[in-house]
Amino acid sequence: MSRSNKLFGDKAFELLKELERSSQTIPAFDDDGVRQVLEEIKAIFEENVAQASTYNTSGDRSLWPLLNFRHAALQRNKRCLLAYLYERCRRIKALRWEFGPIIPADIKQTLCEPEVQFFNSYSKSLAAYMCSAGYSQGAGQGLDLTNNLRPPKSLYIEVRCMEDYGKFELDDGEVIHLKKNSQHYLPRAQVESLVRQGILQHIA
Amino acid sequence: MSDEENVPETQMENVSDGAGLEEEDDDDMEQITAQKVLEILETAWINEMCAPEILPSQVDMLELMVSQVAHMEEQMRDLDKNDFRAVVHGMELERVRYIMASYLRCRLQKIETFTQHILNQEAARDPDEKRLSPEETKFAQDFAGHVDEYFHKVATQYMPNQQRGEAELRIVTPNLMSHVFLKANVAVPAVIVGVDDEEVDMAAGSQHIIPYQLVADLIQNNQAQLI
Amino acid sequence: MDPAIIEFIGEKVMISIIPNFSNEPLHMIYGSVGPFRAGFPVFVPLWMATHLRKQQKCRIVPPEWMDMDILEEIKEEEKRSKFFTKMPCEHYMVVAQLVMSTAPDDVPRCEELRTVIKDIFDIRESKLRTSIDAFIKGEGTYAKLDNLTLLEIHSVRPILPYSLDHIARYQRMATASQRDTSMLSNSMMGSSSVPNSNSLFSQ
Repeated sequence: MSRSNKLFGDKAFELLKELERSSQTIPAFDDDGVRQVLEEIKAIFEENVAQASTYNTSGDRSLWPLLNFRHAALQRNKRCLLAYLYERCRRIKALRWEFGPIIPADIKQTLCEPEVQFFNSYSKSLAAYMCSAGYSQGAGQGLDLTNNLRPPKSLYIEVRCMEDYGKFELDDGEVIHLKKNSQHYLPRAQVESLVRQGILQHIA
Repeated sequence: MSDEENVPETQMENVSDGAGLEEEDDDDMEQITAQKVLEILETAWINEMCAPEILPSQVDMLELMVSQVAHMEEQMRDLDKNDFRAVVHGMELERVRYIMASYLRCRLQKIETFTQHILNQEAARDPDEKRLSPEETKFAQDFAGHVDEYFHKVATQYMPNQQRGEAELRIVTPNLMSHVFLKANVAVPAVIVGVDDEEVDMAAGSQHIIPYQLVADLIQNNQAQLI
Repeated sequence: MDPAIIEFIGEKVMISIIPNFSNEPLHMIYGSVGPFRAGFPVFVPLWMATHLRKQQKCRIVPPEWMDMDILEEIKEEEKRSKFFTKMPCEHYMVVAQLVMSTAPDDVPRCEELRTVIKDIFDIRESKLRTSIDAFIKGEGTYAKLDNLTLLEIHSVRPILPYSLDHIARYQRMATASQRDTSMLSNSMMGSSSVPNSNSLFSQ
């Protein structure tokens, strides 16, 4: 019955621990780990189905604890696996708020295909929500929910440009050149997303 | 600050329908000042941040305020952007925008966390009792679909024996008994404050820590607010 | 709640400034301010006061309670009293901090004030910790928090509500398991009273 000396659920728990330990924004999707957990789930299930029928015909009550134990192991595996996916979902959503509708290439590599699809669907739904509520396309500056993330302190902030970004047009039509190491005094609301992306750095 | 004669610019246009304003009993139904709308939104924002469950949407107040902000921006267009008036008005608009954006984000966060639970509750509510705006409902439904699809593609389709009860087990619900900080806006007599039916009279302005569920109704009818 | 939000809320407090310019009243959404007359005091929200001060368009008039005698008195009273005394301003820490950092020159005896205000805050914080300790040990689920300011309430968040939530959760579990010794009982696991944001993890 115990074909390996590993305990049930070890792999599933490992999946979660790895995700928790990782210092990356989002570590690579553990294809192999997920597959192993699914296999274990299937194997436990099949063993139980087989033994359950023995139990039904023979009425051998000594099997009962074992059936229960396997069932608990199966549930634990499912729980860990879904928790792993749920946590990744949460981080993928955060990407949308941090980087906008396009996932940076280096992060995209770490996602599996269904995750990229999830990101795109989420991104679209969020955009649709903001539009239909009229908050992002209303008159004037409207209201972009991915902006105004922090309580406002001042209208203008001093920023240093961290890379050659090129031209940037302000709402009033003024065009500024964002060159590496140049410093600017700009409207906070309009440059918030550049600051979040690390193109500009807020100084003092 | 309540001298309405002097603030014609901040006077709202007639509120097109009285929906959502019924509770403002001491206020003129036709005319509601921008200041009042902002106060309502601010309270709703703080309540929303502190409450474990999603509260009724203030979509009417938001619409009024969004158009007020647009109107102010229009008026400021003629001012030199370095004029101190432009800067000060601009700062206030930033503050108002922050409150509105933070409020809506907070609601989206709850919708994303408790999606299925909220949808189930909405489905059971009468039309005038709904807590989500139509846009939020749409978002919640879409979002539930996206998560299910992702779970299905990666895992659940490969899991044997998906009994009907399994999806139910995954529903995340808010803990309504979680403790919150509360301030009474008016005197509220005989509030039950414990499981053993202990009662307390709350004086106007008094502050308390208490399980949310015991005071949820006080918050909804504005007798108290969360802090 | 983010400390920046506490500050944001505190910045609504009205404070007196003496502008060095004159202007018609401003019709803000929050209400009207002004008229501004050079050399004459006028009340404006704190966020506006600190902005105008940074632009050197005004002097800030420290609130009446930012005074050594008054604050020393409050400090003694706070020491004597078993309960929290009422503070002269609901956002005294935010106001003091912002006024003294933006306009130290406008505040007589600024350094001494800083110290006494910090003392008052510390006395209250230690009182707060003691009463929380007693409260939790007494297994209460409800308490009155009169006269605590928003920042002080915030200083015990999240630890106070969370620990109470956890205690309540264990109590409900204990009650439920007395009723039904089988911990696998579905009725309990599915119950909405089981605290949740991680109910995905608690099936």
